[in-house]
Amino acid sequence: MAIPHPREIQMAVVDWLDERYPFTKAVDEALYQRVPNFANAFYYCFGGMVFILIAFQLLTGVLLALYYVPDAAGNPAPAYTSVQFIQNSVYLGWLIRGVHFWSANLLIIMVLLHMARVYWTGSYRAPRELNWIVGVLMLLLVLVLSLTGYLLPWDTKAYFATEVTIKIAGLTPPQQVGMFLKELLQGGPVVGPPTLQRFFTLHVFVLPALIVLLMYVHFRFIRAHGISEPL
Amino acid sequence: MAEALAPRRVTRRTFLGWWLASLLTATVITGLAPILVYFWPAPPKGQKKGPINIALQTPIDQLQDGNAVKFDAPRSPNSAFIMADGGGDNAPGELAFGGYVVNNQGKVNVFAINCSHLGCSVALNEAAKTFDCPCHGSRFRLDGTVLHGPAEFPLSHLTWKQGPNPSAIEVDGIVLGF
Repeated sequence: MAIPHPREIQMAVVDWLDERYPFTKAVDEALYQRVPNFANAFYYCFGGMVFILIAFQLLTGVLLALYYVPDAAGNPAPAYTSVQFIQNSVYLGWLIRGVHFWSANLLIIMVLLHMARVYWTGSYRAPRELNWIVGVLMLLLVLVLSLTGYLLPWDTKAYFATEVTIKIAGLTPPQQVGMFLKELLQGGPVVGPPTLQRFFTLHVFVLPALIVLLMYVHFRFIRAHGISEPL
Repeated sequence: MAEALAPRRVTRRTFLGWWLASLLTATVITGLAPILVYFWPAPPKGQKKGPINIALQTPIDQLQDGNAVKFDAPRSPNSAFIMADGGGDNAPGELAFGGYVVNNQGKVNVFAINCSHLGCSVALNEAAKTFDCPCHGSRFRLDGTVLHGPAEFPLSHLTWKQGPNPSAIEVDGIVLGF
């Protein structure tokens, strides 16, 4: 019996799947599109890099959540000791946490570069204004994700940086609104365990779900309008 | 001559196909390996085996015939006892978080608290002088043997020795390190 080429095995599997659902057609429609010549430039890749970095964040975030304990009660708090455990004891924990940390930093830079490209090529103009707004919303979400993630290690730097941030939010005029925002973010009169619980919930459940939803909308818009020509 | 005309079993194209497929597989495995390593539980720091000192509520010399006294593994540091024997759900080397010191006709035994059926904690039935499991109704005599199923194996012993006073015993255990 002749040894089959790997492609024959691949085709057999794909055919089996296609008989049950048109996967090939769905993937072709979703992924394959001619890239116009004007888009064959490195700065048109910034958006894709943002997507890759967000995927990294989601993957490493899930991995970190395997060991992270969102509990700020006690001294040292489990939140702090669990981060130390990830960093120093878990196999390759330093790598996973490092990728999460540096990807988060790089993500903000790449989002700004992507937005700069969109701005300088005039890609925000009609009929793409709504997609620009979706992009701006995602920038804000990325910033809030960074802010909420900063508190999670529950070390001195995280604590006081978040206290300053919340104080700034608390200065929103009029005074009553500022105080309301401050109390709402803190979950109490001071930055404490309820604050960590709230930031953790936002960072892990609410914001990632929102950003994935907005990414889907963003991509659908791009598919609908195509890649914009430069000015 | 006939051999030369026979179809080649592995063509160059097939060989290159498999070579590329192997390379792709190796690349994927290399990418996934750190994640799999990360999943593996880290060794707890400060984990060590050794005797655990237990203070009994009733000193052994005051334990009446047919009576038992319960004890728990210390929580600080978080510890557990090591079973010396066992069958069913229990096995030598498995951990228990409590136990009973029993005076059965003058002989003192120390049992792990785990039922040999599925590991629930047994409770002393003072009236019937038995250990009863609240989960599935297994019952054990004070010498640890099965009185009533579904458990099929006796209670596990813990290795122990008398401490410096009648209220103290040393039981083989482990500091868990977390």
